[in-house]
Amino acid sequence: MTGQALRPTREELRARLAQVGRSAQATEPARPVALATGFAALDAVLPGGGWPVGAITELMPETQGIGELSLLMPALAQLGRAGRYLAWIAPPCLPYPPALAQHGLALERLLLVQARDARAVLWAIEQTLRCPAIGAVLAWPASLDDRRVRRLQLAAEAGGSCGLFYRSPAAAQEASPAALRLRLRSAGGRLQVEIQKARGGHTHAVAVHPAAAVCA
Amino acid sequence: MQWLCILLPRFALEAAAGPAGGAHSESGTRSALATLALWALQWSSQVSERAGSDDAQCIAAAHGAALWLEIGASRALFGDHAALRARLAAELGPLGYEFRLGSAPTPQGATILARAGLAGGALTRAQLLRQLAPLPLGLLSLPDEQLAALHAAGLRRIGELLPLPAAAIARRFGPAASLYLQRLRGAAREPQHCVRPPARFTSRCEFPDAIGDATALLFPLQRLLAGLQGYLRSLDRAVQRYTLCLEHHRAAATRLAIGLARPGRDAVQFLALARERLAATALAAPVHGLRVEADELLQPLILQDDLFACATQQAGQLQHSLDRLAARLGRDAVRTLDRSADHRPERAWRLCAARLTAQPGALPAPPPVAQAPDRPCWLLPEPRRIDMPRELLAGPERIESGWWDGADIARDYYLARGEHGAQLWVYNDLRSGAWCLHGLWA
Repeated sequence: MTGQALRPTREELRARLAQVGRSAQATEPARPVALATGFAALDAVLPGGGWPVGAITELMPETQGIGELSLLMPALAQLGRAGRYLAWIAPPCLPYPPALAQHGLALERLLLVQARDARAVLWAIEQTLRCPAIGAVLAWPASLDDRRVRRLQLAAEAGGSCGLFYRSPAAAQEASPAALRLRLRSAGGRLQVEIQKARGGHTHAVAVHPAAAVCA
Repeated sequence: MQWLCILLPRFALEAAAGPAGGAHSESGTRSALATLALWALQWSSQVSERAGSDDAQCIAAAHGAALWLEIGASRALFGDHAALRARLAAELGPLGYEFRLGSAPTPQGATILARAGLAGGALTRAQLLRQLAPLPLGLLSLPDEQLAALHAAGLRRIGELLPLPAAAIARRFGPAASLYLQRLRGAAREPQHCVRPPARFTSRCEFPDAIGDATALLFPLQRLLAGLQGYLRSLDRAVQRYTLCLEHHRAAATRLAIGLARPGRDAVQFLALARERLAATALAAPVHGLRVEADELLQPLILQDDLFACATQQAGQLQHSLDRLAARLGRDAVRTLDRSADHRPERAWRLCAARLTAQPGALPAPPPVAQAPDRPCWLLPEPRRIDMPRELLAGPERIESGWWDGADIARDYYLARGEHGAQLWVYNDLRSGAWCLHGLWA
């Protein structure tokens, strides 16, 4: 055999490279792109089938006390069982431990972070989003502009966590680079979830029945 | 025995350098060397700040400061001379110290090789004598008049002096010179004054010109924390917090307690936390001195690797995040929650310090929650007076408890409907008849 015959052609090299690339992708464990919400009706209409992982979700409840936290509980409980931590950054009220335990949350995996002012809150959100041990960051940021959301979006991507931000209903009027934006309101004892924006999906409205007030 | 001499030719200047610069004091140089000696304890249990007689010490000082480490015992730990040298260089460089190394079976021999810049080192006495032979007499730690006398006797190189009989040298140049030469060759043993790690760590530096900018404190602080790291490693201990003292002129010192989520002993981590803390602290007055103290020495937490590599890495990442949050926002800013066995809703929970006590990684299934009435996700910090709700959806649940501690309650709790379909957790106080909002079914 001559040296000429041994030398692969450019096309052969390309084919081999593509093969190597494919096998590398096959061995790398796929990172989940979404976290099941625990509500089949909601999973069915969310792109990826759940809360987007490594991205920001904005939740805009019409008022407090309509099941806006209970909506997240099955997913948060799931994260805790998988060994990840939950960060609650400056919540407006006390996340009540007896209720959280009833929802199956691992209380020892819950981090409650208090911050003095809006700037410290944003800093804490970014820090916790970047930490791979923290699976979800719940936050109530006072004001958010495009640039800030984009920055937090990058932090969530880096840490592979779910950024779950509660915002006022007025925020629905503004555009936002968040991956998922939901408007929440109460309708006949059920929580009406309206998908205002979903990256890679369509807008929808579904009703779920989070176990917020079982006796309602 | 194998001795390593770390010669610091410009130490007095460098110790005073940094942001303040300018004049330096002898006591400042001494305490900087003491800190560096604690730093060196991580490499060897025998670290000495001085070698030889007082005379030799004085002469040595003209060549710069020096530390001597016995490295024969620690070679297995840190690798050969070249490896150790690389590690020392990697640590001393960022601290801003220029250094030269010499290594030999005797401390005095290591000193001469360091002065001559022969970093290769001598492993045996024979090698030492061969390396010393061509070196000029001026490198010896002998007083000037004795060097002059040797020169007058026609001697120029160390190799010409060493073979002479000890008795003859003692007769012509004095017993001190003879003893020094015997110690240099290894013919006489030299008593060592080794540094002992104190029971509690304290290290201090002062600035000739006060520092008004917190970021300018980081460079001198880095040196003090390097001392803390060496000290902790030498004792195989760790700390969960240390105190950073900012000394002011004519004012009480500012004491900052810097806490870690888990016991640690890494100077880089210590410094990162101090940086966050200083960024969040307004200096009360210009800083004249800086002190680092640590006294609660703990067992280092060494997590098993391999099997738990992933979990360990995750715990490390979480620890760094928690430490950063605590350093910037305050020690009490990061907490975790737990239930508490009390029927009174406002006492059925408690805050706990966020600590990495739980084994990282997946948890077993949570223990079943005892059958208890449903509770709302939000609890108001304080019950809020409201008018009697128009629509009660469920209840009452009577809670009467706490007669033993004076904070007793007697209430009927209801689920009520609020505006926009909000579900409220309200109660009717059985004593006053007042209605209060206590939680939200969020």
